[in-house]
Amino acid sequence: MNTSTNNAYDVIVIGAGHNGLTTAALLAKQGRKVLVLERRSTIGGLAASEEFHPGYHTTGVLHDSGQVRAQVVRGLDLKSHGLQIRPGRPSLLVLDPEDQGMLLSNRERRTTKELHFYSPEDARQYRQYRKFIRHVAGVVNRIFDQLPPATDSPNGRTLWDLFKAGFALRRLGRSTMLDLMRIAPMCVADWLNEWFDNNRLKAALAAAGLSGNFAGPWSPGSAFNLLLWECAAKYRLEGGPSSLIAALEKAFFSLGGEIRTDSEVNEIQVEKRQIKGVVLKNKERIKAAIVAASCDPRHTFLDLVPANQIENWQQQRIQHIRGAGTTAKVNLALNSPLEFNARAGEKITFARTGHHLDHIEKAFDACKYGRFSDDPILDIHIPTGSNPDLAPAGHSVVSILAHFVPYRLTSGWDAEQNEKLGDTIVAALERYAPGVRDSIVARQVLSPLDLEQRYGLVQGHILHGEHALDQLILRPTPECARYHTPITGLYLCGSGSHPGGGITCGPGALAASAIAQI
Amino acid sequence: MDQLAPPFHSDIPTKRYDAIVVGGGHNGLVCAAYLAKAGKQVLVLENRHILGGAAASDEIFPGFTFSVYSYVVSLFRPHIIRELELTRHGYQVIPLECTFTPFPDGESMTRCGDPEATRHEIARFSPADAEMAPRFSLAMTQMASFIKHLIDSPAPDLASLRISELTKLLGLGRRFKALADGDKYLFTKMMTMSAVEFLNLWFESDRLIGPMSVSGIIGTFLGVRSPGTAYVLLHHYMGEIDGAFRSWGFSKGGTGGVSLACARAARSFGADIRTEAAVEKIILRQGKAIGVVVRGGHEIKSQTIISAADAHQTFFKLVGERQLDADFVQRLRRFKYRGSSAKVNLAVDRLPNFSSKPGDGPHLCGDITIAPGVEYLEKAYDDAKYGDFSKHPFLDIVIPSLTDPTVAPPGKHVISIFVQYAPYHIKEGAAQWPAKREALGDTVIDTLAEYCPNIKDSILHRQVVTPWDLEQDVGLTEGNIFQGELSLEQLGPFRPVSGWSRYQTPIDDLWMCGSCVHPGGGIMGAPGELAAKSLLKSI
Amino acid sequence: MPIPTPFHDRTAALCTSYKWADWAGYFAVSSYNLPNDGEYYSLRHSAGIIDISPLFKYEVSGADAVAFLSRIMTKNIEDIPIGRASYCCWCDDFGKIIDDGTVYRLDANRLRVHTAEPMLAWFGQFRRGFDVTLKDLSAQIAAVAVQGPTARDILQQVSDADLEALAYYSVATAQLDKLPVLISRTGYTGDLGYELWVDNTNALPLWDTLMSAGKPYLLKPFGLDVLDIARIEAGLILNGVEFHNAAHCLIESQKATPYELGLGWTVDLDREPFCGQRALKAVQAAGPRLVLVGLELDWDEQEALFAKQGLPVQVHPGAWRSGVPVYDNSGNRQIGKATSGTWSPLIKKNLALASVEKQYAKTGTRLKIEYTVEYQRETVTAVVVKMPFYNPEHKRR
Repeated sequence: MNTSTNNAYDVIVIGAGHNGLTTAALLAKQGRKVLVLERRSTIGGLAASEEFHPGYHTTGVLHDSGQVRAQVVRGLDLKSHGLQIRPGRPSLLVLDPEDQGMLLSNRERRTTKELHFYSPEDARQYRQYRKFIRHVAGVVNRIFDQLPPATDSPNGRTLWDLFKAGFALRRLGRSTMLDLMRIAPMCVADWLNEWFDNNRLKAALAAAGLSGNFAGPWSPGSAFNLLLWECAAKYRLEGGPSSLIAALEKAFFSLGGEIRTDSEVNEIQVEKRQIKGVVLKNKERIKAAIVAASCDPRHTFLDLVPANQIENWQQQRIQHIRGAGTTAKVNLALNSPLEFNARAGEKITFARTGHHLDHIEKAFDACKYGRFSDDPILDIHIPTGSNPDLAPAGHSVVSILAHFVPYRLTSGWDAEQNEKLGDTIVAALERYAPGVRDSIVARQVLSPLDLEQRYGLVQGHILHGEHALDQLILRPTPECARYHTPITGLYLCGSGSHPGGGITCGPGALAASAIAQI
Repeated sequence: MDQLAPPFHSDIPTKRYDAIVVGGGHNGLVCAAYLAKAGKQVLVLENRHILGGAAASDEIFPGFTFSVYSYVVSLFRPHIIRELELTRHGYQVIPLECTFTPFPDGESMTRCGDPEATRHEIARFSPADAEMAPRFSLAMTQMASFIKHLIDSPAPDLASLRISELTKLLGLGRRFKALADGDKYLFTKMMTMSAVEFLNLWFESDRLIGPMSVSGIIGTFLGVRSPGTAYVLLHHYMGEIDGAFRSWGFSKGGTGGVSLACARAARSFGADIRTEAAVEKIILRQGKAIGVVVRGGHEIKSQTIISAADAHQTFFKLVGERQLDADFVQRLRRFKYRGSSAKVNLAVDRLPNFSSKPGDGPHLCGDITIAPGVEYLEKAYDDAKYGDFSKHPFLDIVIPSLTDPTVAPPGKHVISIFVQYAPYHIKEGAAQWPAKREALGDTVIDTLAEYCPNIKDSILHRQVVTPWDLEQDVGLTEGNIFQGELSLEQLGPFRPVSGWSRYQTPIDDLWMCGSCVHPGGGIMGAPGELAAKSLLKSI
Repeated sequence: MPIPTPFHDRTAALCTSYKWADWAGYFAVSSYNLPNDGEYYSLRHSAGIIDISPLFKYEVSGADAVAFLSRIMTKNIEDIPIGRASYCCWCDDFGKIIDDGTVYRLDANRLRVHTAEPMLAWFGQFRRGFDVTLKDLSAQIAAVAVQGPTARDILQQVSDADLEALAYYSVATAQLDKLPVLISRTGYTGDLGYELWVDNTNALPLWDTLMSAGKPYLLKPFGLDVLDIARIEAGLILNGVEFHNAAHCLIESQKATPYELGLGWTVDLDREPFCGQRALKAVQAAGPRLVLVGLELDWDEQEALFAKQGLPVQVHPGAWRSGVPVYDNSGNRQIGKATSGTWSPLIKKNLALASVEKQYAKTGTRLKIEYTVEYQRETVTAVVVKMPFYNPEHKRR
């Protein structure tokens, strides 16, 4: 009944998203025989380009590609595999229904100039804010590139690491150190209120600390997320997230790796808490001594690992991971360029709604009660702005991440609710880009439930679990935080691990280095 | 009373003082008592005609004595009671029997000290939760015994490179390391999670999580789902550490009884106390505090000045911004107050009759919580976020006259209602509170009447204390009952300003001993005690 | 305040001593009359009846019911044949005991579990991956135990099932005077006996049926005080006395493994993983540090201690559970603790259950146990003996 592949691998990686591919390629580079198993027919996960309507392509569910860790780019020589990195973040237009909005340019000087127009004090403060970020970025970025501290059995080495981290923090100066510790548990609203007056500016900056999370501007802990993002996001990838996948794939193949798509893993085989391999949905068994799972840890432990192979207390911790998605995806195919209020003719590739902290908070409120707001917060990416080939000539693609759309919708998700969500989002967009409705050729709406079913995201959470203070660093649980798990040979390498979700490839790289040590 | 604390101008103090305590609230009085006990000449100056600050009792209506601004005593440190012999000075706290939560659908839940009876009661809604309740208490006991060391000693200095401080941190680390693995995990969760998420680790029933989570938000401008509120939950569990479930209690004669006991203790050690002594200014000479000016221009000199007022009042009103360096001022300004609670005091001619549990009974003797679920509380918070008081507020109600007959005429009762959220910053502007005061009172009574229809007809008198009133009457900035929000970034070494959490201030010889310093608010006495002990150590 | 059990109307009328206890939130009779010798002697010589409704009762059913319980219990539930009951215990992940109780295999896929403490949440946490329904019947089912040498004769008069055929630790459904009951040949007295489980609504008729059938046999109700004497005589441990639920312990030393409690025979290590398996394997390999033993106190030494104070010897009636230090034979080193004990009116000895270091656990070892006479703390010799102290032949016949 079972077909068994004798062809055993050193390592099986579950999931061909950016983290899975990173782990796979870095291990292949070590000379290991690596197989990547992907459930879908295309690789890339949330960074995959999709043709959502004939002739119209996106560059990935996620938009932000500026956080890929330098060590991955270097370690896999991604530039020689076609990855093009542009310095500076992309310019971002903060939309306002009343006027032309505010442009946060990729050049600080230009942004400051724009801010000066509203408030000279805020312009000054913005320079100070950026200076503060630059001052602490080095230390904060260490967090991304280091294994989390070992809590189970601290030995000399890990204590030394901890000491070094503490020392680096202290070297910033007494007051900066204390400030960082003070900021971490704060909410973005309070922190930004300390800096700025202009509501639009505060809202524009705040959103980055909230993305993907069940958190509004007044939710404590969001300031830490904002700080992490501010320190990590430094550049942009030409061609968006999907270009990263293409480069990773090339690198992996050049190192002799193997990818199998349409291969959903049904079970991780464990005997006496030791990895034996995996069983696919079609009952095929593939042997390996090491399995690295880039899927959500909740999926790994609660669906793939047999129930009696992890201890009860460990299972409890996994079950208590919070991560019910709050993000929906809408892709629009337009027969014209998208033009925003009073910005006709300008080439805008990134825009965002949310012109006031209260505006964002109110959108979040709805989500607390199992509804989506009539005025959701939209993260808008127009990939055709930088690559017109993604759509027929003159046409455009608008990729929208809608925030604060709850996975647990009170009425439940169905076709009708999907349509309603699509209509709500288009109506919202219409307020900032009048006339857009008439140019829509096609529309794809993916609710958090759709994201779960399509991409295997548990409860549709794009970060594989909340980025809340208690779920960062020692992520997903203290005993699994250093990528190895209580099951010998099973590793985690996805966004559910430190340093978390988003296109950083950080978890993939750190997991690879943890596996490389054995 | 006159003997204890005569009005300032009827008996102007003339001694040479070692220390002047500005503010005769419970913390100021505890601080004074410790200093006087150590042989110091101490003078306490209280602005109002009665002692106690926010922990004061007053006969607002003839025959009815109210704890006007506060209602129960939960956290008063037992060692202070022992060390100051407060029982000898009239300290009497009677534990609350139970917690009663009525629900809008006619159900109710009564949790009391009898674990099996409580289990039966919770099991009506969730047998699994009933089973978990003792395990939750056990976990909290474990957490409390760990955190006790933090509360009973000055906050650690995280950035100091001094050996003594590093050793202290190392000791803290070692104590943390000694915790069982599961407790470490729990502790980190507790320090960062929201009250609701933390309770979710044990419980499933909204009817239990709702009323339990409110301990996490009392006095803060946060919702029960806001991260950081789980810790405050523990803060209110601290009373349990001595082994008793009943961590909250009524002070005989109202919460002012606690303050008076502290005052008598201070007096017995030789401290002078004066009421109606509004301090207008702290006199500085060459950056040193040397005395105070009392209303009417009377100057009194002292070696040390200790302010029990909050940081805002102390530095911006009494010291003056010009005396401080800009960085310190900026940090002070960042310290968040934003009071979020109000108080409604009722004198009634009969007991409330709850439709979900009619009649008198032990359920009225404890703490009655109108917090029927998480969504209810979140909605209450949402109203406040946008500058209005909650349309359906969270109410914490006690009827002290059922336990302490001295506070109301026979057969009549006083009802003390703590109301949240009533934000200081309403959209009309805080100064407009007087115009909204009675509207808030009506909302509270209407909310209560949904559970307790006879309440409206039973009211003889009603007093509404808004956050604005708290600021006006007892000098709590923005009406925050804890002299500054109890949120993670404002605790321990960050309270009220990082670097100045050890009771000293940038002004030499000026100290702080109020709730605005570690370990924070509540009728706890710890800031006053720790300030006094730190001061005594430094001289 | 406790609440009444379904038998309360009858037990309250008989409880002339007004001695009640709180058993899991229910009113339970401690002693019906004082002194309670009558209750004890009728239990040991004819038969006694006790209301055991406060026990927690769970029904586990579904295709994976057996596998599910096997995952929780230290015993392999697959090994229990249909129609049999089994004494089981269960542990946390670290091999520390949570509770003990009986598991009845009613059907291939339907089982009943009776526990001392509520276990719905504990069992529930293992549900993942199993096709199983877990039902809490605690408040719907009433239970009495009929125990003693004439228990079978009494029940046989009103039962339609042949009780001679119901072997020790077997379960069957039967009609007792037309009342449907679940009857098991189990108990907590170390004697011949049965436990009867009925719907709450049938509780009072069942009581009346049993009392009238038992009248010629001198059936008497007995309370928890006598039960405590009987269970110590039978060498049976009690949750909250001999061990504590590990989930409710503050420190490690308060927790115990099944091996320390003499329950090694209930642990089946070599099978599919179950909760605590890994830890228990390690404990078994290393051997437990402490062992539960039965102690008999030397009578002459007790008498001598009383004589020293000029007193005639006295026995403390009934069982105690206050915890008493146990020393080695020299009396210099504490090597354990006695958790409960009793004067046995039948054996005429003071007995104790004790937890002692492994090397002192051999039968015949002489130890010293603390013994207080007239406020003077002394010790007397206590000898390790085989348990149960009392094990009548008719128990299994």
